[in-house]
Amino acid sequence: MLKSWKSVEPYLLVTPQTLVFLLFLVFPIATIFIVSFWEFTGYSMTPGFTLENYRNIFTSQVSLATYLNTFKFVGLVWFFTLIIGFPVAYFLAFYIDSLRWQIILFLVCTIPFWTSNIIRMISWIPFLGREGLLNKLLMGIGLTSQPIDIFLFSDFAVVLAMVHLYTLFMIVPIFNSLMRIDRNLIAAAEDTGASGFQVFKEVILPLSQPGIAIGSIFVVTLTMGEFVTVRLMSGGQAASVGYLIRNQIGSLQYPLAAANAIILLIVTLAIIFGILRTIDIRKEL
Amino acid sequence: MANLTRRQLLRTGLAAGAMVTATQCARGTPNNPAPGPTVNTNQTKDVTLRFIGTGVSQINEIRQKAEEDLGFKLEMRALSTEENNQIAITQAGQYDVFDGEYFSLPLVVPSGNLQPVDVSRITAFDQIVPIFTTGQLYDGAKVNSSQGTAPHRVMFLTDQESTEFAPEPTNWATLIPFQYNADTLGYRPDLVGREITSWGELFNEEFRGKTSILDIPSIGIIDAAMVVEALGLMTFGDKGNMTREELDQITQILIEQKRAGQFRAFWKTFDESVNLMSSGEVVLQSMWSPAVTAVKAQGIECIYAPLQEGYRAWGGGIGLSRNLSGIELDAAYEYINWMLDGWVGAFLGRQGYYSAAPENAKKFMSQAEWDFWYEGKAATEDMIDPFGTKLESAGAVRDGGSFNDRMGNVVVWNSTMDEQTYLVQKWNEFVAA
Amino acid sequence: MITGTTQQTQAVSRPDVAFVHAEGVMLRSLTKKYGSFVAVENINLDIPAGSYCCLLGPSGCGKTTTLRMIAGHEEATSGDVIIGDRRVNDLPPAKRNTAMVFQNYALFPHKTVRQNVEFGLKMRGVKMSDRAQRVNEMLEVVGLSQFGDRKPTLLSGGQQQRVALARALVTRPQVLLLDEPLSALDESLRVKTRGELRKLQRQFGMTFIQVTHAQDEAFSLADQIVVMDHGHIDQIGIPTEIFSAPASRFVARFVGDNNIFMGKVTHVTPDTHAALIQLQVDRLGTFLCRGQAADVGMTAACSVRADRMVLKPHTTDSHTPNHLSVRIATVEFTGYVTRVSLVLEATGEEALYKVRTEDWMAQPLQEGQSVVLGWSTEDCIFLSH
Repeated sequence: MLKSWKSVEPYLLVTPQTLVFLLFLVFPIATIFIVSFWEFTGYSMTPGFTLENYRNIFTSQVSLATYLNTFKFVGLVWFFTLIIGFPVAYFLAFYIDSLRWQIILFLVCTIPFWTSNIIRMISWIPFLGREGLLNKLLMGIGLTSQPIDIFLFSDFAVVLAMVHLYTLFMIVPIFNSLMRIDRNLIAAAEDTGASGFQVFKEVILPLSQPGIAIGSIFVVTLTMGEFVTVRLMSGGQAASVGYLIRNQIGSLQYPLAAANAIILLIVTLAIIFGILRTIDIRKEL
Repeated sequence: MANLTRRQLLRTGLAAGAMVTATQCARGTPNNPAPGPTVNTNQTKDVTLRFIGTGVSQINEIRQKAEEDLGFKLEMRALSTEENNQIAITQAGQYDVFDGEYFSLPLVVPSGNLQPVDVSRITAFDQIVPIFTTGQLYDGAKVNSSQGTAPHRVMFLTDQESTEFAPEPTNWATLIPFQYNADTLGYRPDLVGREITSWGELFNEEFRGKTSILDIPSIGIIDAAMVVEALGLMTFGDKGNMTREELDQITQILIEQKRAGQFRAFWKTFDESVNLMSSGEVVLQSMWSPAVTAVKAQGIECIYAPLQEGYRAWGGGIGLSRNLSGIELDAAYEYINWMLDGWVGAFLGRQGYYSAAPENAKKFMSQAEWDFWYEGKAATEDMIDPFGTKLESAGAVRDGGSFNDRMGNVVVWNSTMDEQTYLVQKWNEFVAA
Repeated sequence: MITGTTQQTQAVSRPDVAFVHAEGVMLRSLTKKYGSFVAVENINLDIPAGSYCCLLGPSGCGKTTTLRMIAGHEEATSGDVIIGDRRVNDLPPAKRNTAMVFQNYALFPHKTVRQNVEFGLKMRGVKMSDRAQRVNEMLEVVGLSQFGDRKPTLLSGGQQQRVALARALVTRPQVLLLDEPLSALDESLRVKTRGELRKLQRQFGMTFIQVTHAQDEAFSLADQIVVMDHGHIDQIGIPTEIFSAPASRFVARFVGDNNIFMGKVTHVTPDTHAALIQLQVDRLGTFLCRGQAADVGMTAACSVRADRMVLKPHTTDSHTPNHLSVRIATVEFTGYVTRVSLVLEATGEEALYKVRTEDWMAQPLQEGQSVVLGWSTEDCIFLSH
């Protein structure tokens, strides 16, 4: 009796997680996958098997342009979150000694998440808008005589808002990596004559790569599927794949949306795979 | 309507959609236990009616007043137009009462999720504005020949079991009208500096980078059509039901305008349009009436321009879920009759919407209120909305004038087109350009 | 060299890989404070060029801080660090002609053994061809030539330690600083590595300064032992001095196997070498010991090594000047030496007696037996503090 309990125990322990995984991840994705092959004419869709949805996407100039635009956002957001997030993580890890202050400063980094998207967008207007602080400042110091429109409702604004939001996802894993670097390694590098820059290049940067990789995965995945920020900050004038899918769902075009979602998923996974092939993150896990 | 057969296709499509959504939600959807005649009494006290609708109509004050007057409970869910339609079509178990727009009906009705409203049980039905029943407001009114999914075209079904729209009034209604209004362009007179009298001004270079358009494909495209028609760039057979060629052409024009930097932004929600306008980022845009009111409430001048080409209008109403029966159904009819009784109409009137039965609403409005909102006369006292905000000072006149001037000049209604899919595709092209 | 293969032993003795120049290290009034906590207080120390010096003490005594101040990884709060004839306080670590072997080695995990060893040369801009040659030499010295392309994590602890040594030695420092280099190794490897360290130091001729908490390590390696406690130096001396003539109760206790008795000085008789001192120990009687700087009436202690005592049955008539009645508690054979735990009959305190096992076997006593513990005046060292 006891023996048989022992043998089923491990299976019982993993059952809830497995069920959650199957029910809320595998099953929905499988459903989306199946629906992406359904036939779709006008407003109706019928179970079946057609590659028309995919053919549609692959031959459409709009989806190509939309994917390129999404990649542009991903690339820019990734780049800026990295060059902004790394120094912040570095500062937190190497210049802040007390855990208390590290936590407080981390909370400061989460401030962008304390408000809703719409509130955030509203609050960008007085800053970036035509009459906004930034334009007033630039005009005040004589750098420009006309208000600059591209600060808001532009690709610039989209990238700015996403960088503002997602830098935290870069900071945390990089911070984690940096905290794991034995401080003696840095002392050892200095001891053998490495300059500050050499210590960074030879020791800190290589050892923070797993953190950069994990942060990149977060940022890339979040940005690939992003549509709310894209819509609000571009004033609806820029497209992203997520936004395209959302519009299709909104118009009840489920098979098209499903096919797009599957392609987005595959593209995102391919990028993650590429990152993992480049950098070994096992040490972080 | 010749295109009805086409729309029949929806039935399969939406049923399949329902299945997908249902499976995606697994077994988690809180299906209401089927309302049955288990309570052996006429009392509807224990009933809770579950509403779905857009934020515009799901108002707490109305719910409270209804519960107080009727004795049963209402549960309201405020959704976006898109979500509202999706739930109506795919999640029949989630609602008892559908509060939606007429132009959604070509999508919702074929799903079979609505049961027709028995007109004979609606006491004030004969007081409903004829826009909804015959489509004729008064002789010579533009609205009589308006394009698009005009409410009277989708108001009635051929019989109780049918999902086919009847061209003439029958005893079986799809929705009982709740509120409606005429939409147009709003502008900031302080920043525009002159009077705006035509839709064509939206593409005027004078306002380059300072205009905006509504980013809901099926509504935005009609606003765009009003603009290009006003400018003489295009003519349409039916702005509410464009052909592929028309869609190609208008999208091309929109893309050119976008590339030239005509638009500052596109808006999708009420709040966005208010912010764009009040911040001065945009000085001229397609707008909803309460958004204009909200801008004014901030002390900023904003005019809801009566334009020479006329208005684009919309109407919303109350429909019944196929699941309703027994005392729940009775309760729903009680609610509809209460809704037409006037209190709600007055409540809506004070916000600038129109009531389905204006004469009843009048009973609950002051003379000054009636004169201002419906008659287009100068306000003899400050106009206060139901939430206590002052909307207009004494002496003000409603933009566009009286009910007849405004609703009579409606030339097109919010629509679901035959080429809806193509429209969305073209609209995505526009956004991505 | 640790695994002791012929090849490796040969490598270590390569005469061409050696440098003769070494520098001495002087610390003058060196102090390190962390806020109000004083880690190292006013240390003065001369370490001769080419010697092997061990900083010995328990954890927290300030020995590692001292080492890191010499290396330049800690900034001195006050005082001077002088290497050769240069005051180096304001120089970065790499400019001090020192190299450090870190506790747990601090090898770069993302670099191969070769890249680790090469690191210092690369940072100093040594030409690629010279680099390769010097790295190869160094890997040969530590016997790791065949492991050059491995990552350090794939090596054993002993091999990692040798990589760390090679990395430090390859820049040809005048002073090599070692922070507990043996503590991560197991016992047998530690003993072996000790010998190799000493051999390396002789071969290269540079000054070695090593931090350790293990007295046997210090005894076996050092020319000079510096015993530290609470940020102070308690005693500086050659290993035999530290062992046979501890200068304080702390040193006597820390170097181990000493019996210490606290008491009051009752009489001092000056003598040529060391005064003869009478120490009145509460409830145990008066002991005679040798020492300096004693004043009558002061509280002090005496210490006697456990192996310099004798244990005799009560029946014996001839007693040493100092003796006590004790009971044998336990007898522990440890091989060459037998350790006997005793309980003082007058106080119940414990004492330790060590004897060659051979001698014990010749005259064994029983556990529980009451006997007399005695020791001579010459073996009884007076400790003023």
